[in-house]
Amino acid sequence: MRIGVFICHCGSNIAGTVDCAQVAQNAKAFPEVAFATDTMYTCSEPGQDEIVAAVKAHNLDGVVVASCTPRMHEPTFRRTVERAGLNRYMFEMANIREHVSWIGKDKEANTNKATELVRMAVEKLRRNAPLYTKKFDSVKKVLVIGGGVAGIQAALDCADAGIQVVMVERETSIGGKMAKLDKTFPTVDCSSCILGPKMVDVAQHPNITLLTASEVTNVSGYVGNFTVSIKRRATYVDWSKCTGCGLCTEKCPAKKTPDKFNEFMGPTTAINIPFPQAIPKKAAINPDYCRKLKEGKCGVCAKICPTGAINYEMQDEIITEQVGAIVAASGYDLMDWTVYGEYGGGRYPDVITSLQYERLLSAAGPTGGHILRPSDGKEPKSVVFIQCVGSRDRSIGRPYCSGFCCMYTAKQAVLTKDHIPDSQSYVFYMDIRAPGKMYDEFTRRAIEEYGTEYIRGRVSCIQPNGRGQYVVRGVDTLMGKPVEVLADLVVLAVGVEGAKGAGKLAETLHISYDHYGFFMESHCKLRPVETNTAGVFLAGACQGAKDIPSSVAQGSGAAAKVIGLLSKPQLESDPQISVVDIKRCVGCGKCVDVCPFQAITKQSIRGEVKAQVIEAVCQGCGLCVATCPQGAIQLSHFTDNQLLAEVNALCQC
Amino acid sequence: MSVLTGKELRIVGFLCNWCSYGGADTAGVARATQPTDLRIIRVPCSGRVNPLFPLKALLSGADGVLVSGCHPRDCHYSAGNFYARRRLELLKEFLPIIGINPDRFEYTWVSASEGQRWQQVVTAFTDRIHKLGPAPRFKDAEPIYDLPGALTGLVRPLDCGGNPALDELKQQIREALADGHLHCVVGWQQGYDAIHATPLHMRKPEDVDRLIWGPFNIHSTANMITQLIKEAQDAAMVGVKRGDPIPPAKKVGVVVKGCDSKGLVELLQEKLIERDAVEIFAMGCNGTVSTDRILAKIGGAARVSAVSGKGDTLTVTTADGVEHALSMADIAQDKCRACKMPSAKVYDHFAGEPVTVAEDATPEPAAIMAYLDSLTLDQRMGFWKGQMERCIRCHACRNACPMCVCREVCVADSREPHWVTQDDTVTNKFFFQLIHALHLAGRCTGCGECNRACPVGIPVGALKMQTSRIVQRLFDGYQPGTDADAVPPFLGYEVEEKNIPEHHIERA
Repeated sequence: MRIGVFICHCGSNIAGTVDCAQVAQNAKAFPEVAFATDTMYTCSEPGQDEIVAAVKAHNLDGVVVASCTPRMHEPTFRRTVERAGLNRYMFEMANIREHVSWIGKDKEANTNKATELVRMAVEKLRRNAPLYTKKFDSVKKVLVIGGGVAGIQAALDCADAGIQVVMVERETSIGGKMAKLDKTFPTVDCSSCILGPKMVDVAQHPNITLLTASEVTNVSGYVGNFTVSIKRRATYVDWSKCTGCGLCTEKCPAKKTPDKFNEFMGPTTAINIPFPQAIPKKAAINPDYCRKLKEGKCGVCAKICPTGAINYEMQDEIITEQVGAIVAASGYDLMDWTVYGEYGGGRYPDVITSLQYERLLSAAGPTGGHILRPSDGKEPKSVVFIQCVGSRDRSIGRPYCSGFCCMYTAKQAVLTKDHIPDSQSYVFYMDIRAPGKMYDEFTRRAIEEYGTEYIRGRVSCIQPNGRGQYVVRGVDTLMGKPVEVLADLVVLAVGVEGAKGAGKLAETLHISYDHYGFFMESHCKLRPVETNTAGVFLAGACQGAKDIPSSVAQGSGAAAKVIGLLSKPQLESDPQISVVDIKRCVGCGKCVDVCPFQAITKQSIRGEVKAQVIEAVCQGCGLCVATCPQGAIQLSHFTDNQLLAEVNALCQC
Repeated sequence: MSVLTGKELRIVGFLCNWCSYGGADTAGVARATQPTDLRIIRVPCSGRVNPLFPLKALLSGADGVLVSGCHPRDCHYSAGNFYARRRLELLKEFLPIIGINPDRFEYTWVSASEGQRWQQVVTAFTDRIHKLGPAPRFKDAEPIYDLPGALTGLVRPLDCGGNPALDELKQQIREALADGHLHCVVGWQQGYDAIHATPLHMRKPEDVDRLIWGPFNIHSTANMITQLIKEAQDAAMVGVKRGDPIPPAKKVGVVVKGCDSKGLVELLQEKLIERDAVEIFAMGCNGTVSTDRILAKIGGAARVSAVSGKGDTLTVTTADGVEHALSMADIAQDKCRACKMPSAKVYDHFAGEPVTVAEDATPEPAAIMAYLDSLTLDQRMGFWKGQMERCIRCHACRNACPMCVCREVCVADSREPHWVTQDDTVTNKFFFQLIHALHLAGRCTGCGECNRACPVGIPVGALKMQTSRIVQRLFDGYQPGTDADAVPPFLGYEVEEKNIPEHHIERA
């Protein structure tokens, strides 16, 4: 074998703390290395051209590049060696940037370490073999999980491109968090007015199948060919008959049912249509509160329903869909702010979340758009907004900024003044984060035109004063003194986290998620909508806190990825999968038992049982290889011998 | 490659591509300064990390090995790290028996977003290894050649008087053979002299006359079963043309002691044999002897002319006419001294009354384990080095093992994969024993055949006993070969492992 080694300076990123020329010099002594050099930017066009030229000039049949992480540029260089006429798997990468030059300052140690990493890559490459992809068909259909604005945008864009869409939404209506908002910043236009038409488009689009009151319970398969199980929750109303007339909701006697859509700001009925613009506009029964379902007595809705749509016997149903790609757009939820004892921990009725306040502002909300205090139904004249409740607070393990709270608080302060002209709003804030287009101008308007008083500092406690008001004590860090505000209503800008159940969904989708329930994108900058599972994409706040414009943009971004993926006539399989050496296989089936993907079956060859890998199903984890006692199954590109070569390159005492 | 003298130690990391390798990248992007010692090998999943990789590294000069994968429940491949957790915990707890400080090996979970935690993990682990200093090298260990002479205490009185139900057993086998549904029945017969038994393959009713039962039924009949089933299948195929339906093979009969039956049950558990492929003839066992111990008592070169047993006393008459009265307490095999299952629990025929041991009887730890436990880590490494110097790589230990079903495709004889090289070094010989031990983890039924078969008397069984101790602790007293429906522990997992703690390296 003739191996070429290219040590990248990455400008000064690597060369600053690694003697790249020395590493290249050292590499020349490694077995089968026929050529070694250092280059300024190996990933640049001249850098790649140099590889191509060297392969030809020195008759190389394998290439090692020592540069950044293979998670970044392995695909780039694989294309390069392919351009040079080699198989793309006759390439190895040594990560001497993220794992060497960026984490240590000792040039001697770094140079030595880089040399060893190159040596490991050379030893592995010596045992590489050309691998070839196979082509397979994909299902031209996408599953969108979540019917908030991000999911809606992704679904509409895909559907418009001619791809079949299955949208699954946990609630009975799509719309997500945006449907709960009264107005949106920075234009203060009505949320329903801009979202409503898009929701209608989803319902009416010929390419979109809408499944609400449904959840994804299982996903198997692989990019291009996922099999998805979806649980359709029993709504006890036959939606093919329900016209959404609402008669049932008027007559239902269970009038103390908690109203989830209205953030529990008022009661609703056990049979319910969450809001007037709901899509689909269908009634559903909450079985925990329905008297018929709980006690067997009632049946009022069935009697009143003009189309006979009520069906108390309805059962949950599991349906299966075949899709080629999945967009996760499961959104966010507010964190549990009651950990803040100093804000009452949930004991004070007039200390509410910003999302609850949105419902008070909304004309379709429980108060008909009048701001009335939950405790006594009176109009508040003094409203205190507290920022960063559960954001940027390490003491409760929430170090991150939720991003959009500063802006909606400014909007809510403006709306408060609009609704109650003689009111005064106060905002306790840490910093005002308003980096979007027209955002800072909007905040300035809230302060300058609407007289909102912004106080830079944290609130230390909220206490009722016994006369129906709350004393809000805090500190003004700009003035350097404690402040006290008498409030009729306190609105908390509660930090956001991944939607409830996001972790479970991530596990179902085989994607990563962080401590806060946010899904991990494939690369924080360059692959923001992809995940590490091929064919699964992210849109909206499920990936991290996002405002509406960003969610819509990411929805379209995810759609573009789906369209790109499914517009290919055929997909290529990853050849880094397990291969059985049938001469060595004794048919014990241990690999079959442990395979997480049921990608291995037993076959009979002339009466002898042997393992067989289903190539399209194997994901390349290598668990079977670590299980097979005699090494009869090997993972291509990560064989025992390749890993042993790396170990031996390091440990030869 | 040599480490940077004085500055660095040799630390090898195995990181899964999706979480921990990404976490290490994240740390790099954040310029999170770390010690330079660690060299990272990228693997797709922590489940890909055969514990033999870290073991190979530690045995060949690594001062520390770190494996890191996705957090439990967050595996890119859904369950790879659950399997890894059991296997890596096994490795960690196995290391002390061969004299490697378990602190030199660690495994943990770091996600791609946890750059800062990765920095803490690397820093803490590197500090730990530097505190431990360079690892003692196997090749430099001070060899210990002695073997402990102590005997394991008896859990019950043993008896060499033979079993009165032997005629009943013979009758059962004769009838089964006469019925014609058996390919053969395997048992024991006297070998070249009275203290050496050899396997007996009974194919005709008259062959049954030669069957013996007593203290010399030493060999495991479970060891032969897969071979005989194959033979029966081949016999059924004689005259069958390609494309013809494959005729059913005859059953293989096997006579078992309690310990042999465990081997059969473990083979059933692992679906290596089918229950209806075997017919099990069982009888209660009162203990077997170690011929080595008899020979040591009567003089190694002595010719034996006759043997008779009564109760605890075995009388061996040598060719020179001298009678040696030996006590079973002195000559019984180690496994019999601690045996709690002298009668098979899974069988088709049982002759006589089962021999039982009191439920609450607690066997003493094996003498070899007590001895090894009493040594320091350095002494243990020296012990194995000293013992393994005798190894001639005959692989008798493997060939005698009822659970070693790979046989002709064993990794010891392969370059694909090339786990064991052709180098004639003690380290290389020892590594094969470690492979054997880890392959048997959660599978070894303690039959002791590896020890018995070793012509140079290396107590290789101790390595497997160590895995058995760990398995019993980790999996609530799990005993391989006792429940045909149980899933072997390393072929399964629990999402929450009751007995496997989280290892928080960064908090050390």
